[in-house]
Amino acid sequence: MAIWSYLLVGLFLPLFPLSMVFNLLFARVSQPLARAALLLVWPLAGLALLYSLGDDVPEPVLIWALATSALYAIRMLAIRDMGTWTGFLATSVWALLWIPAREGFELKGIAIDSLAFSTPLALLVLIMVLLNRRLGGTYAGVREGMATSLPRLSVALIICLLAAVATPPFPAFFTLLSVLMLASPINMIGMLVVWLLWSWAAARLIQGFVVGTPAQGCNVQDIGLPSSWGLAMVFMALVLTGVLLTGDLL
Amino acid sequence: MDRLILLLPALPLASALLIQLTAATLQHRVARISQVASLLTFLLAATLLGLGLSGEAPALHRVGSHWGSLLFDPLSVLMAVVISGISYIVHVYSIRYMAEEPGYARFFILLDLMTAALLVMVAAGDLIMLLLAWHVIGVVLYFLLGHDTRSHTAYRYAFWTFFSYRIGDLPLVLAAVLLYQAFGTWSLPEIFAHIDAAPATTTLFGLPLTETVGLLVALAAFARSAQFLLHTWLPYTMEGPTPVSALMHAGIVNAGGFIINRFAPVYIHTGEALHVIFFVGLVTSIIGSVLMLTQNDIKKSLGYSTMGQMGFMIMECGVGAFSLAIYHLIAHALFKGTLFLGAGGVINEARQSDNVPKDELYTFIVERQPAPHRQPWLLMAAITLAVPVVVFALVHWLVAGDFFQKQGAIVLLFFGWVTGAQLLFSTYRMRTQNLWRTVSMIIFSFTIVVIGYTLISHVFNLFLYPDPDMRLGIYAAAGVDFAWFLAFMILVTAVIVLGWLLTYYSDRRQRFGKTRPGHHWMNFYALVSREFYIADIYSWLTRGLLRLAGRLNVWLRWV
Repeated sequence: MAIWSYLLVGLFLPLFPLSMVFNLLFARVSQPLARAALLLVWPLAGLALLYSLGDDVPEPVLIWALATSALYAIRMLAIRDMGTWTGFLATSVWALLWIPAREGFELKGIAIDSLAFSTPLALLVLIMVLLNRRLGGTYAGVREGMATSLPRLSVALIICLLAAVATPPFPAFFTLLSVLMLASPINMIGMLVVWLLWSWAAARLIQGFVVGTPAQGCNVQDIGLPSSWGLAMVFMALVLTGVLLTGDLL
Repeated sequence: MDRLILLLPALPLASALLIQLTAATLQHRVARISQVASLLTFLLAATLLGLGLSGEAPALHRVGSHWGSLLFDPLSVLMAVVISGISYIVHVYSIRYMAEEPGYARFFILLDLMTAALLVMVAAGDLIMLLLAWHVIGVVLYFLLGHDTRSHTAYRYAFWTFFSYRIGDLPLVLAAVLLYQAFGTWSLPEIFAHIDAAPATTTLFGLPLTETVGLLVALAAFARSAQFLLHTWLPYTMEGPTPVSALMHAGIVNAGGFIINRFAPVYIHTGEALHVIFFVGLVTSIIGSVLMLTQNDIKKSLGYSTMGQMGFMIMECGVGAFSLAIYHLIAHALFKGTLFLGAGGVINEARQSDNVPKDELYTFIVERQPAPHRQPWLLMAAITLAVPVVVFALVHWLVAGDFFQKQGAIVLLFFGWVTGAQLLFSTYRMRTQNLWRTVSMIIFSFTIVVIGYTLISHVFNLFLYPDPDMRLGIYAAAGVDFAWFLAFMILVTAVIVLGWLLTYYSDRRQRFGKTRPGHHWMNFYALVSREFYIADIYSWLTRGLLRLAGRLNVWLRWV
């Protein structure tokens, strides 16, 4: 495969610095549904392109991909804006899709893996809308104490963040496990460190939103029961998808 | 009937779901649902233990075809009884203790989820179930410790715990992946059968699989059981509610001892892994005990006490006394749980009246008023060393010629004896004149240690590891050359004698009015009181990484 082909695929299955294009685009798109769609479609486009080219992926590309993933995982630690954070996490997880792609996995399987990573991120975008309406922004540490003022929304946010950083039993965990089994020893250790950084970044974000005492006079209305149940069903569906589809229980 | 093990985690899970559904209508009464569910779980676990004791063969019960199985075996049912028992006590205690706290229903949901995850962990029949439970425990504990969502401090230290646990998750994941790559199955019994058939299997970089997996599992155990360098979270997590502290110190932190026991079929084929485990446990128990003695904060002191105990438990695994480690973790769970749950009541009573008896023991320990005249310490020192040597020799000649093969047993016996004798040696300086009574107590204590050790070790060994080859295999894997063993025993004895001399010297200086400590001593004390600066170093590294992340973001314009 020619170098320009990698550069093209590297836009969609992020390779730094090409990954900056996606993050720039993601920051510019303000419409939530468009953002969610972008998160779902972007890596699929990369995979389709990669498979249409049909050549083997050389080892240096994997190292480049893992380095990209690690770079964005480290940068996530200092991010307070949930939008930017989501874009960075997306970049970090999608870069890992190069590993199953190199092993010649069939496109359908990797597409499912990609969706396992992207679906919680798309959900996070929708939760950001709910947050934005109530807090006027999605910046951690500014309007703290969500657990007290918006208990239902904070639970939804926490579960969504946990799903996004591949916590079991969500689909991304099983996908990560299957990718790990394909990786070389060094890449395996690198991936585990990246995973650790995701968890750290998620915990920092959770603490920025959920913990603390809400400001006096902060009378925002929590999401209603129907919305809570709706989100609960979606999370339950995610768990079932994880266990049955990516987890291959049966 | 042993299929009932599938119900074990299902009961607390159902309780958590029911509480979520009924919290709005039942209000504080939801705790009763949780309490009943935890009682039923305990009764079920006890029934399963009864089945195990009656000789029911181990069995694997599956829900899925690839993974999703629970194992009915002596280790899982014994641990299930311990966990469900402690969980039930914590539930009962929490009903009133947490009544005025916000998030009452949330607390019980998390408590039930934690119980379920712990039960899945101990009964996991495959690696995926083990990984699921291992991860979820860390996550749920994070939210339990941070139950007070207004407290930044609680969350700060809950995060330390979460992060340490995540560090411990990674080697276990790696071990699971290596085992799957080698044998193509997630099932633990199948993996152990494969290892037994081909113990020389190699893995990454041509390393021996058993040794690599043994060390990775040990690393996971170290993080979970607060071993040295991965221990900082434990003494700082006292901001959480008391019932959570009790559950953590009595149950969750013991996971290290459990996981090493679960992987015993791997460890019998290792060469050095158990020696590493022994060394880490030894260092942890010493450092934990030293730090415990030097803390001003009673809660931190309790935390370091647990660390010391965990070090001892891991050390027991390292010397091959696997089943004894299980006994230790059960005993530790019971006394530490009692300590935490009883603390509030004791403080409350002490506010009314201190109730402290003004007797010899009180004046000696609390008022530090030893007897003014010296006792024949040489006799005591001789007894401390001579009695075990005579007994070992007698055992060697009269009972079992190969007793020295069980080096772990001897090391532990020696430790137990010296500790007991030291306690009596120091209490002998109480205002009591009856020398023969004290000597009798020393001999009696040693008898108790020997009988207790032999009996408990024997009973637990027979129950947990009914296969005699397995029992011998564990001791053999932990064994070292006789020369090394001898050298180690001499070193330990020398350290103990040095300790005596130091105590004697310091005592003598005090007697002559030289109470001012030396320069080196003060430096050492500063080092210890700052907990060897380990937490400070970690904080410094963390801040450095966060600064780097911030700078990278600025350089790369946040995209």
